[in-house]
Amino acid sequence: MSGFIRLHSSLRAAAILAVGAILLAACSSTTTSNKITSGAPLVIADLAPFTGVDAALGGFYEASCLAATTAMNKDGGVLGHKMTCATFDTRGDPADAVPATNQMFATEPHLAMVIGCTSDEAASVVPIINSHKMVMFCMTGQSEFDHVHYPYFFRLVPPDLSESYAMVAIAKYIKHYTRIALAFGNDIGSQTFVGPAIQSIKKAGLTLTANVTLDLTANTFRTEAETVVQSHPQVILTEALGSADATFLSEVKQLNGGTMIPVIGTSATISPAWYSSVAGAIGASTLAQNYVADNLVTATSGPEFTPFYDAMQAVKNQVKSLDSGSLATLLSGPGAVHLFDGMNLAALAMIMAKSTNPSVYKNDILKIGDGVKGAVVVHSFAQGKAELAKGKAIRYIGPGGPTSFDSYHDSPGIFQVDGYSPTGQVLVLGGISTADYRAVQ
Amino acid sequence: MSLFLASVGFGLVTASVLAIAAVGFSVQFGVTDVINLAYGSVMIASAYVAYFVNQLGPGVSIWLAMLVAAVLGALLSLVINKYVYAPFQRRGMAPIGIVIVSLGMLLIIEYTIQAVQGTGNLSYTMSQGPTLTFAGLILSGVQLAIIGLSVVFMVGLHLLLRYTRFGKAMRATAADRTLARNCGIRTDRVVTLACLLTGALCGISGTTFAINLGSFGATSADLFLVMILAAVFLGGPGQPYGAMLGALVIGVITEVSAVFITADYKYVPAFVILLVILAVRPRGIFNAGAIG
Repeated sequence: MSGFIRLHSSLRAAAILAVGAILLAACSSTTTSNKITSGAPLVIADLAPFTGVDAALGGFYEASCLAATTAMNKDGGVLGHKMTCATFDTRGDPADAVPATNQMFATEPHLAMVIGCTSDEAASVVPIINSHKMVMFCMTGQSEFDHVHYPYFFRLVPPDLSESYAMVAIAKYIKHYTRIALAFGNDIGSQTFVGPAIQSIKKAGLTLTANVTLDLTANTFRTEAETVVQSHPQVILTEALGSADATFLSEVKQLNGGTMIPVIGTSATISPAWYSSVAGAIGASTLAQNYVADNLVTATSGPEFTPFYDAMQAVKNQVKSLDSGSLATLLSGPGAVHLFDGMNLAALAMIMAKSTNPSVYKNDILKIGDGVKGAVVVHSFAQGKAELAKGKAIRYIGPGGPTSFDSYHDSPGIFQVDGYSPTGQVLVLGGISTADYRAVQ
Repeated sequence: MSLFLASVGFGLVTASVLAIAAVGFSVQFGVTDVINLAYGSVMIASAYVAYFVNQLGPGVSIWLAMLVAAVLGALLSLVINKYVYAPFQRRGMAPIGIVIVSLGMLLIIEYTIQAVQGTGNLSYTMSQGPTLTFAGLILSGVQLAIIGLSVVFMVGLHLLLRYTRFGKAMRATAADRTLARNCGIRTDRVVTLACLLTGALCGISGTTFAINLGSFGATSADLFLVMILAAVFLGGPGQPYGAMLGALVIGVITEVSAVFITADYKYVPAFVILLVILAVRPRGIFNAGAIG
């Protein structure tokens, strides 16, 4: 009994401490100064999961940040400032993301922009970042950002419902499947695909055979896999990050008599972490034969691609999570490509606006991204900086292709179909026509 | 019906992996008086060691790698107990304090693995063997091997506890360490050997857990640790037979639940049953108060 009382007292003390810490964190972040000390390095904050089930995302965004800032610094930086990256771990959980965001504003007086903010935490952190009047390029597909206006929010990746339509369009018009199963993770970012996918399957006249939710922290998914196998789908639409898809798909293969059921993934499955875990679990050649994904059209060669490729090559040894195989995957991964473009757009906007204050330079992101009449097209930070120095208007088109921002600062892009080679290289397998895409909306 | 039977089979596999881990945890708790939350991280550390051994060459079997993982698990458990938990216990730290220390060890080991090895997931190089269907159950050769391995360990542990001097000494130490010492049992040595034994079980369970998972990372065992605790407390802390029964109940009910309710809530029924049983028998089903 006395032990119980001691436990009770300890818990009460811990609770008081925790509440105190939360109050302190909450009070520490009401304002942000945009006064940057002359010549001080400007910080790009990578606010993303570095631990937890989506831990791989933060590291890949960091690779993109290092590549972009190294290229910028090689060309003299931005308005006399060197660029640098800082990381803030959200653990992929809003409960951890909010304190991490507050810590970011409390500890980084020279913050220039934020990248990351995935679907795991965007709903919680975007309003905070916006209230601090800080430009952010977010990797979220959540549909609420299609119609809620945050002046400092920018997005170069499609809303999740667009991706759902693209996946169903691939299933119906490119692969000619009629029976579809859904298997998405139970995280916020993955679940947003489910509703639009079900609607789209119905609209397309296809059959939804099973819809299973995968708990990303679970240890096996055999019953879920058997549910899917017994429903006899021709294809599984999926996004379950961490080790979940690897475990689930290996169990599907086993329970389907050793034969893999084809898979259509979201663009988030085009990542080195997803590839290596799933290829390890079901076999690289099996994955290559049975997997496609929707992805935004990205350059794989040419003047838009070369500066990005060179920048990534320059930093590949600085990023621990990257080996040569995963670098090849990352070169087509949305996390690397579109954030690289976002950072270049923001940096060039600062130069154009002659200010590092987000309130001043944010509108120039739209001008440089969408272009104005007579603008010179540039494909790198260095080219853009040189043209701006000549007093020219510029339009930046990077590896992610041309942008077209709407009034909510979303630039949804055009979809293509990607796959993997057995070595993990991303292959462009075709496109999705506008007519096919609209037919399943 | 066929999905129900299949889920029972899947539950048996989960229960087998869980039983090896839960029995090790329970015996360790019985002998050391530590609710060792770092157990899950030692499991994963052992799974990583098995992976590195498995990757040494194409001929290195995962079953051989499992032996190396058992050695690592044994040593790591011994070191943690001897140099972390025991000093705190000697200073008279309350049990709840030791639990917090073990939570700290869990995080330290997990984050160290993540810092060294990265956030990616790994898979063993191994064949799953043929898939066998029997009376509605669908199991691969590897899963049958895991069930067989678990049965062997359970029987082996039973024989050890019942019929060997060391087993009896462990039971006596768990029942009352002071009395056991006064009876001439070298309890410090018993604790050391028990840590090695349960650590080895921890290493083996980590490897079977990773085999069963197909793909694992540094934090993969987080939820599994909760299932281990549930199995242990369902059967009665310190009760290896209780842990076996607890593992069976938790493992099977979890998988069968996924047939009837949304799969991401499949752990809920198992924990509801845990709460109900603990409400009726607060010290677990096997509440004799000492090992065995």
